[in-house]
Amino acid sequence: MDPTSRPAVVIDYGTGYTKMGFAGNVEPCFILPTAVAVNESFLNQSRTSSSKANWQAQHSAGVMADLDFFIGEEALAKSRSSNTYSLSYPIKHGQVDNWDAMERYWQQCIFNYLRCDPEDHYFLLTESPLTAPESREYTGEIMFETFNVPGLYIAVNSVLALAAGYTTSKCEMTGVVVDVGDGAAHVVPVADGYVIGSSIKSIPIAGKDVTLFIQQLMRERGENVPPEDSFEVARKVKETHCYTCSDIVKEFNKHDKEPARYIKHWRGIKPKTGAPYSCDIGYERFLGPEVFFNPEIYSSDFTTPLPAVIDKCIQSAPIDTRRALYKNIVLSGGSTMFKDFGRRLQRDLKKIVDTRVLTSEARLGGKIKSQPVEVNVVSHPIQRFAVWFGGSVLASTPEFFAACHTKAEYEEYGASICRTNPVFKGMY
Amino acid sequence: MILLQSHSRFLLQTLLNRVQNLGKAVELDYHWVEFDDVRYHILVSMKNPNVLLLSVSLPIPPPEAVFIGGLPFGAIEALKAAYGVVVQILDPPRDGFNLTLKLNLGKLPLDEEHRYALLLKIASVREVVLGAPLRVVLKHLSSRTVIPGIDGLLALVHRSKESFFLVPQPDKVTVVFPMRFKDSIDIAFATSFLQEFVEARHTAVLNNAPPCLWSPNPPLELKEAPAEALSANAGFVSFVIFPRHVEGKKLDRTVWNLSTFHAYVSYHVKCSEGFMHTRMRRRVESMIQLPCCYLLAGCAASALHVKFSWNGCLVGDSDRNILPLQATQVKGSYLVTHVVSQALDRAKPGVEEKKKSPNSRSFKRLSLKEARANSIS
Amino acid sequence: MATSLRLYLTCIRNTLEASLCLQNFPCQEVERHNKPEVEMKTSPELLLNSILICRNEAEKCLIETSINSLRISLKVKQADELENILTKKFLRFLSMRAEAFQVLRRKPVQGYDISFLITNFHCEEMQKRKLIDFIVQFMEDIEKEISELKMSVNTRGRLVATEFLKQFI
Repeated sequence: MDPTSRPAVVIDYGTGYTKMGFAGNVEPCFILPTAVAVNESFLNQSRTSSSKANWQAQHSAGVMADLDFFIGEEALAKSRSSNTYSLSYPIKHGQVDNWDAMERYWQQCIFNYLRCDPEDHYFLLTESPLTAPESREYTGEIMFETFNVPGLYIAVNSVLALAAGYTTSKCEMTGVVVDVGDGAAHVVPVADGYVIGSSIKSIPIAGKDVTLFIQQLMRERGENVPPEDSFEVARKVKETHCYTCSDIVKEFNKHDKEPARYIKHWRGIKPKTGAPYSCDIGYERFLGPEVFFNPEIYSSDFTTPLPAVIDKCIQSAPIDTRRALYKNIVLSGGSTMFKDFGRRLQRDLKKIVDTRVLTSEARLGGKIKSQPVEVNVVSHPIQRFAVWFGGSVLASTPEFFAACHTKAEYEEYGASICRTNPVFKGMY
Repeated sequence: MILLQSHSRFLLQTLLNRVQNLGKAVELDYHWVEFDDVRYHILVSMKNPNVLLLSVSLPIPPPEAVFIGGLPFGAIEALKAAYGVVVQILDPPRDGFNLTLKLNLGKLPLDEEHRYALLLKIASVREVVLGAPLRVVLKHLSSRTVIPGIDGLLALVHRSKESFFLVPQPDKVTVVFPMRFKDSIDIAFATSFLQEFVEARHTAVLNNAPPCLWSPNPPLELKEAPAEALSANAGFVSFVIFPRHVEGKKLDRTVWNLSTFHAYVSYHVKCSEGFMHTRMRRRVESMIQLPCCYLLAGCAASALHVKFSWNGCLVGDSDRNILPLQATQVKGSYLVTHVVSQALDRAKPGVEEKKKSPNSRSFKRLSLKEARANSIS
Repeated sequence: MATSLRLYLTCIRNTLEASLCLQNFPCQEVERHNKPEVEMKTSPELLLNSILICRNEAEKCLIETSINSLRISLKVKQADELENILTKKFLRFLSMRAEAFQVLRRKPVQGYDISFLITNFHCEEMQKRKLIDFIVQFMEDIEKEISELKMSVNTRGRLVATEFLKQFI
């Protein structure tokens, strides 16, 4: 049977979570933390001993040890419960950092989670717009050499995030994607499906920083959280209780007036002793997401708020695309999921744009009245896996299979074919 | 993960999820594909949140395999026996599928443990359906009888348009797998793996395991098989299953292992390719460091300019600091021998750790600052 | 190391030492071009006799020399199908990273597994002795690597088989 008649496999690997599933579905099958726990006990042994017979035994142990690893939630659980497994995160700041771990991660994704034969399916993988072409080549090499996939397409995740929106309303492939993941945050302008590379802006603040900030706040207040668990608790707090406020001062007042209504509680069990504990969650509920709008509360190195970065990004894009870009600002990534994040962003951005329009009108002495600029921040319910959904939509169009690099092409030209991936018809 | 699990991970996850949130009505419409072309489809509608429609499509059977009403023989009975009242088999199934099951989640046992066991069984639906004929044969083996009406060869589908063969006898069942792979590398790996099966069986520990044979040509048992079923690029494997292998609880495991034997081998072939890939990558990376230090050696010996950056350590600068010729030669040759011997060591795995400390020391010796000092003096 | 391998490698080393005397030689046909003559074969007087060193039928080494370049092609022992595939895969891996190796030819000469092309520029940049060392070392390594790889595949197969058969006990 021809692989094109089967649904393509779509894997969107992010710094924090990997989303994977089959094309044509609305949701990914699995959303897993991008983490690998490897059994390294074998590696440590082989260094200390030298005798030949021993080496042989370890060699055979080592051959299988490379299968002795876990990914996702299981990896987190394993590394916590036993010392033989060491946890590694193969992706750092949106870029693959450890290729060995990444290859293993893919192996488990395909064989253990999706349980499909990689030879039977086309694959759509994602990458950040700043990925180096070499890393794309590496990806291609692993996919074609190790897994023997019949075809591969490596898509830019921001383009996919735009594509996710286009089924719900109209076929709009121009817009700014505000992609705030766990390890990387980019503002990427896209015009007609092509990324405007020179205008991409990155922000050194992402989901992980929000978690760290919450952790710091809770620690400083002296909440009763066991230190080894505090990062995980902070992450859970971020995911379940955080929201965006419209004004910090008002929000502080609200909390002070009605603590019963606003302060939440967290209950957990200490991992070492098994004793239960509980702690309060207060201001961090709105201070966490506030990091994006007032970065100075978290770091002194970077102080440009997210709306200003977006504005700067659009201002640096070609002048004829700017209005269209302001009109379609798409949110994607798990860290844009805070309640009212989109509304706050739209309000702040609108303020910046309106101020500029007003000053320019004042400079011209009020003789020319400019058309108001429409600022529109789009958020959809599937924001968390918008990239995956976009991939799923694209990979289910018939044009997808023609745009893929095939195994035959790889064998003919080598890994360099993976450097570029054509924007295809289905994207419009 | 070494062995393949019999349940579909995603199906189990969806079922558990559904059962936990029975109160919430959601719409579900998923379809996905597993290895060997088993397709699934799940449908839950808003109107009837308790009812879940699960459709399964099986690999296309080759002409020699016996299919009754789109299912392997014995499948309907096996389904009824496994699931009881919870599941209703719809006839005809959904378009494009071989089987549609109507699950009534309201009828699940209330006991936590039983419920989980049943859901696990439902998630292993491919084992129940595809393994049904094998199960019937092996059941008869455990009672040392042969199914009436079947003599000689029995073909069972395990991959799209491919089958494996059973030769049932009262006291033993011979299972023959023609092994086919697409890729030439896969074939070579699989062939060597399959020979290891035969070897491994001879060890004392596995004395009670089923006897295993591998041959590049079709074995005698397949005399009657159709010619097109007899082309296998990775040879033929046969296992002889005795009643002791299908006693009691072992039956389920045996059925699953035999019906996914090809997938098991194929999975491990892929894994070892990955393993090899990782290893080669490391090796090549260590080799790449060799030529660049030879380049270094050449430069230093020519003593015209000293500009190298290796390991991120800038040793000298060609434009501004042209060192006195004599001094460079002395220093240079010292450096060269040192660097090269280290480079060779670096290429060998394991040595790297030990050599780290002298490595950094030798570079300190000729740091930028000192090079400057040299040029001034 | 087996004695026959040592002899083989020594022979290659000596031949290389003798034949690696290259000099700059501008192209005779196009002005300001400088091409490796061993590849271009523009004129017979620029080429020297090629030397074939064989350890046995499966393992041989062809050294072709010209005025400004030398090409050395190796055929690595491939006892069975598996070794054949491992060698092919490994060498393909290497050739895909040919830029980093400088002297590696992207495509091997027909009939051989891997080729190196050394020009007078390489000789000027690098020490001749070290270059030869590199090639000899490379040959030694590749032999070891392939046999290790093969062993690990076999061990793995054994473990996979054992795990499977254990299920029946």
